[in-house]
Amino acid sequence: MDNVWTSTNKLFFKINPSLKFVIISSLFIVYLFVHNLNTMIWASLLFLILYYLVSGLTGKWSFWFVFLTLIVSLFSASAMIMFGKGDHIIYQKYLILITQESLARGILLGLRTFTFSLVGMIFATTTLPVPFFYSLMQQLKVPVRYAYGCMAAFRMIPIMAEELMHIRQAMIVRGMARQKGAKALYERMNRYMLTMLAQSIRRAQRTAIAMEAKRFSMTEERTYYYEIGWSRYDLFFVVIILLTVTLGFVCSAYFPLTPFTNVLDH
Amino acid sequence: MSEGKKSLKLNLTDILVTIVIALVFGLVFRLMGPVYDLLQPLGLHLDALLYGIWFIAAPFAALLIRKPGVAFIAETAAALAEMLFAGSGGVVNLYYGLVQGLLSEAIFAAWRYKKFSLGIASLSAFAALVGSVIIDAYYSYLPMLAGWNLTLYLVFRVLGAILLSGLLPFVLVKGLEKTGVTQSIRPVSKEDYDVLK
Repeated sequence: MDNVWTSTNKLFFKINPSLKFVIISSLFIVYLFVHNLNTMIWASLLFLILYYLVSGLTGKWSFWFVFLTLIVSLFSASAMIMFGKGDHIIYQKYLILITQESLARGILLGLRTFTFSLVGMIFATTTLPVPFFYSLMQQLKVPVRYAYGCMAAFRMIPIMAEELMHIRQAMIVRGMARQKGAKALYERMNRYMLTMLAQSIRRAQRTAIAMEAKRFSMTEERTYYYEIGWSRYDLFFVVIILLTVTLGFVCSAYFPLTPFTNVLDH
Repeated sequence: MSEGKKSLKLNLTDILVTIVIALVFGLVFRLMGPVYDLLQPLGLHLDALLYGIWFIAAPFAALLIRKPGVAFIAETAAALAEMLFAGSGGVVNLYYGLVQGLLSEAIFAAWRYKKFSLGIASLSAFAALVGSVIIDAYYSYLPMLAGWNLTLYLVFRVLGAILLSGLLPFVLVKGLEKTGVTQSIRPVSKEDYDVLK
């Protein structure tokens, strides 16, 4: 996993995580009301460029992630393309009916999913969990118990992964991985799920008791080991995102690539 | 923890257990994402059958811990986890999680956190489904699908929701009851007092 991440020194790592979170989440609202195919094409292009410039993944990983995301996003639009309503028929066979309108709508949906995935990737690949949760406590006033709970839970992921391996190995050694049939599959699922869940619950409980024993306070004022503050990078970030979004709208107005300005019209 | 009677207020144990469960389901969501995506191009909405798994965190947490608020926290935290793991859909997941969690919670609240049967679990899954369909109606242009296709989609989604987020969490929690972990995290119920008589 060493060469997955580029240096964490890039601009987007230095932004206040809460600000990043709020801005990125609010993009959902912006593009939810975009029904113009041109806008979506430009927006996805611009966010693709932005993603390449700022993402925390190295080139090879980054490329495959984008490639797969694009394919998958187009998959998600397939139902709309093949079975959507519309008048100008392009192709028809049995139940499949592809019309110009449904094709435009499908492509818009696919690109929207793609854009949101990219935006989500920008966030996920440039945000480290610990500063993120500290920032949630300090800037967004998320109750300390939830934020610390999340951090404690994140710590448990490697333990869970190890546990999963142990169950797998135990099953293999006892020949249970070779059993076939629906019943064996059901029992195997049960063994994995129940064991993992029961262990996780017990571990969470032990951790909570330990935290309380160490006087973890749920209510009082507290100080923080990491102080997450603001910097000029936050301003850069807001400007970059605003520019990307506005540029998308401007480009679609001046350089429309398709005639579909409102895919909801028939 | 020192007070003899456990109240319905969330203590640190409840919160941690809820979040850890949410994280487990967040991982499950993340891993199911690609499977779901691969089913989509078939166009017959087989993916909608699988959609139900995304509602599981709320009913599961509620059935397990039986306190107000855990359903909402679990579903939202699971969605947040999925976003942090860079699941497909990205930021969208968070909004779905919020709405699904709220509606799921509402069902348990409507029975004042006293009833935790299979029926209520299924109803809560159904409520989450209603939430997801409302968002999808805007986000995925559901009304623009051909009639038969939309019907198929909704039927599959309801089936999936009831099976994967009504029945499955119920069965899982029943299984967990046998392991004994549930005893220590649930509030004291009337039956517990009756045993002492």
